[in-house]
Amino acid sequence: MKKSLFFVLAVLITTAAFAQSRVTGKVTSSEDGSPLPFVTILIQGERGLGANSDIDGNFVIERCPSDAILVLSYVGFTTIQVPVEGRSVLNITMSPDALALEEVMVVAYGTARKGTYTGAASVVKSDAIKDVSTLSFENALSGKVAGMQISTNSGQAGAVSSIRVRGIGSMNASNEPLYVIDGVPVTSGNTGQMSGYIYSTNNVMSTLNPQDIESITVLKDAAASALYGSRAANGVILVTTKTGRLGRPVVNFKASVGLTPSFATVNFDIASPEQQVELYYENFWNAGKYDGKTDQASSASALSQLNKRFNKHGYYFTADDHTVNSLKILGMTDGQENREGKYYNWDDVLFRTAIYQTYDLSVSGASDRTSYYSSLSYTKEQGRSTVNDFSRIAGRVNVNQKVGKLIEFNTNVNIARNVQHGFNDTRSTGSNYFMQSRNLLWPLYWPTDYKTGAPWTARYGSYAYNQVYYNNEWENESNVLRLSANETLTVKFMPELVLKSVLSFDNTQTRDHIYYSANHFNASSVKGQVHEMSTNFQKIVSSTTLNYDKDFADKHTVNFLVGWEAEDNRTDFQRSSGTNLPTSALHTVATAGVLDANAYYWGSTMLSLLSRAEYSYDGRYYLSGSFRRDGSSRLGSNTRWGNFWSVAGSWRINNEGFMKDITQISNLRLRGSYGVNGTLPSSNYGWRALTSYGNKYMEDPGGGVANIADANLSWETSYTYNVALEFGLFNNRLNGTIEYFNRDSKDLLQSVPISTVTGFSSTLKNIGEINNHGLEIELSGDIIRTADLRWSAGLTGSWIRSTVTKLYDGKDIVWYDPTGDDARAKFIYREGESTLALYGLEWAGVEDETGRNVWFLNNDSQADVTVDGRPATYNYSKADEVILGDAHPDFFGGFATDLSWKGLSIALNFVYKIGGYTYNAVGRDVNDDGYYWERIMSQYCYDNRWTPDNKTAKYPQRIAIDMEDVNQKSSRHMNPADYLRLKNVTVSYTLPRAWTNKISIQNARIFFNGTNLWTLAAHKEYDPEVNEYGSRGWEIPLGKTFTFGLEFSF
Amino acid sequence: MKKINILLAAICVVLTMSCEGFLDVKPSNSAAAETSITTAADAKVIMNGIMSKMTSSSYYGRNFIMYGDAKGGDFAIRSQGRGLDALYTFNHSPSSNSYSGYWSQIYHCLAQVNNLLINIQKIEEAGNSTSALLVYKGQALTLRALMYFDLVRLYGKPYNMDKTALGVPLVLEPLDASSQPSRATVEQVYTQIVKDLTDGAPLLNKTKTNGYINYYANKAILARVYLYMENWGGALAAAEEIINSKVYTLYTNNNWVSSWTAQYNTESIFELAILQGEADLGSGSLSFYLRRHGHGSTSAMGWFMASDYWLERMNQDPDDVRWGVMDYDESYKDTDVYRYGSCYKYSGSTTLAGDGKGSSTAVNIKVIRLSEVYLIAAEAALASNSKDKAVTYLNAIRKRSPNLAPATVSNITSDMILDERSKELFAEGHRFFDMMRLNKTITFNDDFIFPMVVITHREKTINRTFHKTILPISIDEMNANEGVRSQQNPGY
Repeated sequence: MKKSLFFVLAVLITTAAFAQSRVTGKVTSSEDGSPLPFVTILIQGERGLGANSDIDGNFVIERCPSDAILVLSYVGFTTIQVPVEGRSVLNITMSPDALALEEVMVVAYGTARKGTYTGAASVVKSDAIKDVSTLSFENALSGKVAGMQISTNSGQAGAVSSIRVRGIGSMNASNEPLYVIDGVPVTSGNTGQMSGYIYSTNNVMSTLNPQDIESITVLKDAAASALYGSRAANGVILVTTKTGRLGRPVVNFKASVGLTPSFATVNFDIASPEQQVELYYENFWNAGKYDGKTDQASSASALSQLNKRFNKHGYYFTADDHTVNSLKILGMTDGQENREGKYYNWDDVLFRTAIYQTYDLSVSGASDRTSYYSSLSYTKEQGRSTVNDFSRIAGRVNVNQKVGKLIEFNTNVNIARNVQHGFNDTRSTGSNYFMQSRNLLWPLYWPTDYKTGAPWTARYGSYAYNQVYYNNEWENESNVLRLSANETLTVKFMPELVLKSVLSFDNTQTRDHIYYSANHFNASSVKGQVHEMSTNFQKIVSSTTLNYDKDFADKHTVNFLVGWEAEDNRTDFQRSSGTNLPTSALHTVATAGVLDANAYYWGSTMLSLLSRAEYSYDGRYYLSGSFRRDGSSRLGSNTRWGNFWSVAGSWRINNEGFMKDITQISNLRLRGSYGVNGTLPSSNYGWRALTSYGNKYMEDPGGGVANIADANLSWETSYTYNVALEFGLFNNRLNGTIEYFNRDSKDLLQSVPISTVTGFSSTLKNIGEINNHGLEIELSGDIIRTADLRWSAGLTGSWIRSTVTKLYDGKDIVWYDPTGDDARAKFIYREGESTLALYGLEWAGVEDETGRNVWFLNNDSQADVTVDGRPATYNYSKADEVILGDAHPDFFGGFATDLSWKGLSIALNFVYKIGGYTYNAVGRDVNDDGYYWERIMSQYCYDNRWTPDNKTAKYPQRIAIDMEDVNQKSSRHMNPADYLRLKNVTVSYTLPRAWTNKISIQNARIFFNGTNLWTLAAHKEYDPEVNEYGSRGWEIPLGKTFTFGLEFSF
Repeated sequence: MKKINILLAAICVVLTMSCEGFLDVKPSNSAAAETSITTAADAKVIMNGIMSKMTSSSYYGRNFIMYGDAKGGDFAIRSQGRGLDALYTFNHSPSSNSYSGYWSQIYHCLAQVNNLLINIQKIEEAGNSTSALLVYKGQALTLRALMYFDLVRLYGKPYNMDKTALGVPLVLEPLDASSQPSRATVEQVYTQIVKDLTDGAPLLNKTKTNGYINYYANKAILARVYLYMENWGGALAAAEEIINSKVYTLYTNNNWVSSWTAQYNTESIFELAILQGEADLGSGSLSFYLRRHGHGSTSAMGWFMASDYWLERMNQDPDDVRWGVMDYDESYKDTDVYRYGSCYKYSGSTTLAGDGKGSSTAVNIKVIRLSEVYLIAAEAALASNSKDKAVTYLNAIRKRSPNLAPATVSNITSDMILDERSKELFAEGHRFFDMMRLNKTITFNDDFIFPMVVITHREKTINRTFHKTILPISIDEMNANEGVRSQQNPGY
């Protein structure tokens, strides 16, 4: 091995024979004393003489003139000159280059230095996310980038999260950013079809192992993102994976285990069994009194209701004095079991302490011609729900090979397989475990019959089912196999002229399996049911760019980029289903008596031409411009092509002569940009008038007109300007950026309501306009910076106003939170109002004397009562709906602090949200006035309801007299959104090298990570970290996770 | 450098040449609308689509049938909150429970019919018409008449109450997205209905056509329409043409009950096919809505059952063969008395046999059958003073209550015919409309709800002067359609 390495060393020998001797030595870094491999060592003034250091930093120069001056150069380090002065052994220390240290970041179609880049982009390094126990990297970005909001739609393992970069720019098309991995746009979001059956999402981004990520760049303004043209209006997230570093192969092994024993906060925690029974009794007792009955009759009616409901579960009830004060819960004695005093804890069987485990093994290294990084990882995450888990096996190989002097090949291959078992995460009484545990499953219900001990299979009175029994009667599995391969060819025709051609193939195969036995309520009428679905996303991207980069006369730098790109997306879908299954032992379509199938494909293509020009003068003035022309199959031939462009400039003020003397300011830069980018319609064929064939009749094909299409459907276009001031003070110990942006999104696709007399309720038109503008702050600083002790802190904050500025005909559009198909929060688009304007009835609270609901009228109808001097009514149907509040926060972001002392470090990561509202879509279920009398109620509801003893209560009296649910969408369910959360805390200890080196371990580290450990919320009834619409539904909440891990490298 | 320039130029040329082809991506499960109907076979596919869309839960698949009975007093509910309550309680407003699904689904079906008709017209104008194609024209015209008849009964006042009142927008050809048509009068809508039926009839086949419209289905609908218009002669003539053709025969007392377990039985003049994997609504089907709570499935909620008043009517004869599709309902759990209020017409039988398709919920919807035609004939004959005929036609059905004395020329009344309609056509979507056109008072069995609740949106008894007997135009339609904005139904 050693021998061959010596061969690799390019040791050049001179024939000059004047005072020559053999010089040896070692090159190390001044930072940590580690050896620097492959340092170029030249002898000044001598052509073709010199050497490279080997992998351990050692070098040998045969026949070195004794008065020679060695010139050592190494990427990222200051080039130094060392006079030999007759010595034969030279140990040389090199220091990192302060300028080169300036972050190099990945940007659109290339890299840039942070200090000279003219666009708005934020970078997150792998260090910031590496210890967080997350399946997918997005979840670890919370609070780390100003202007970016990450919301987790569910605490379900494997669920999709949602990212909004700088507000909401579209009503109908996607608001999600474009994801680019290693220079290639990739498939993102939910893949697979399971969501159509059980409402669980499947995040394809979790096929990327977060440990493989080197850095993440978020492109925010038009200057940064316009090169991605029609897909860039919502921002771009560039992910770069790791590459090998020069030097010996490094083997890195990391293992961690996490435990999630509880939810992060209180989540509609239920009242005690006795309180539930009390509420039930009270509900009917009050109804009896309302009807003019005596206490005795009212009590009898309430008791008969209780007995009717719970006798069969082994309980009976008495109230000797005909009021709730004497209400007793007694056990039936006619069965196998007497349940008196015993209640069933459904939480124990529906939820668990979830275990997370992950193991990563990677090998990386590089020589001067080849670099490689390969990894293999296994991760298994359990959800808190007992039926939910996720596992991933992922492997990656990144290889870079130089061939000859000009050509370089780069290959990135990622293979991952995810297996997810999900569960229903929307408001479904029959199958949502979280809703059942908080709203439906009485502690008086048991999974067995008290009389016989047999499993309880009938539906409970509250419409819930016995999951202890039914868990074994169904199953589901989503199996994602993703293979992506990028091949990049780089040809350096000249140092200044580089051609880069990328071909990428991204294939995601999702197989979904869902099975219900003949015993299961979903399939009992068809004697068992099984579906097998396969969805194959195939994305092929080819791009070729030519880049010319040249410095002139020391002061002028120009850079030109031209290129083209083609993209082909195709999705093939197949489903085969069977019903009437012969046996519950076989869960396959093959055995089914009745078969059903479906298969078709869809897709889109895009062609683009792109170009960019950059010029800088003297390290002070920077100018750039970009232009891209996109053609998409999602638009008709009249409107297919669109042009997107940007211009930007920056002024590095600290490099000006007049700043020389202000030593406190180490960096000061002003930059600005303006540009145009776009968003495509979500629908592949939205512009085409179609006849669809989804209406079989009598086993014959049936079809019909499917839409009223607008053939001139076009791009949504965003016009963005951005101004920023960047500064670094006190030798860059305090860095910051203050940024203002304004984005006008026009020609927005609107699903315009049309008269249904046409046969259709809406048509897509390019009509609406939205404005987003805001201020972003990023600050970071080193408070203490000594050799042993470092303390740094960072803060991000964003203030964003997102406003609808134009609508079709100026008409309001009422819409609903689409998550979970549940219409759970109601919004209105109205000109001049927020893009998340909550809409509904304005609740005026509860009348103290009567405990009745009161609503502000907001119209000219006859008032029943006045509240706060405003006309109000007892009858919600008389009141008008109004805008209630904004679900966007006023201010949001995060802050982090990092303290390290020798090998020990503690990092805290907070996220916060100030202002705005969340909408409690669950309120209609748990904060109920008696309509849902068969349901259990939250402790919060119990504590805050009106009773004669609690007349200033927040919520009304419970009374079961109405046919209607008065829980309309109203301000009653709207709560302040403010919260502060310790999102992550990481404590790690790196064992001293003196110890570890003895056992040939280069680096050993143990760490602890805690996620969601502490939360301070303005409203404490539920987890304030809600979805991107600001609503809280019956999706399973986030948990508190404690992770322990260790990491070695050899 | 030069070579690269040539290469780039070549790339550009190739790009521009192949661009439009590369960017033309067509769907694999839909076809271009403009060219999808050119032959009779294409017309058949579109006709299948129309029939399928008519079986939607918003229309004949469930809600339209439910409308006629839930609002007519023949149905009652046991508990609140199970579904479609608002039909029973008349809790309607333009913005909540407007039941705009009727309006939008029927107009969606009409858009399909009009699209088919205009394409047939194009083929005719091009001189490529065939008799096979014209059959579809006849079917389409008949269906258009039926759809407008249903719409005008939901949204317009009864014809004999005020035919100058507003009906519904009358649209006879495909509309573009910007169309905002106003409502025509009830009379204009009825005129068009009769015209379409009259135009369509000669194009149709006289043989039995399972699952589709034929000549006699056209005539049966015409008879029904004339009855609503009080054109007694027309109704009687149309009904007698069907009866006398002998293409259809009445069920005997012996096979009346079993008739529900079979498709396309001898009475079936127009029957919509519901197949598994097609329009079967499963746990949302009529079968589930009407069967007993929990029967056959834990998802069966026991939504609606017969009212006490209907049961009283049936109790006139405990041996009435029609008891055979009734079974006890859930109320015995509270009262310990079996009450036969659950209807199993849409489950095939009280044992959930279905109608021969291996599923108890994929049961065909009998839109019009011969018994109704007899009762139309009886009513029309009585009104036009042909009492002999009236007695004959009524007794043909009334004999299903073997212990009741047959009607005679001296005792026959229109109420006897109405009662017979209630018994025979129970749960088939007629009762409410019959009560409206005959200007009767409807009494609701609210006291059956357990435990008692307060119904605030209507009185216990209503008649057709109550504004909620016709549906509101939904707020969404009013917002999108300037043409109807000032045409809301009175009282809303």
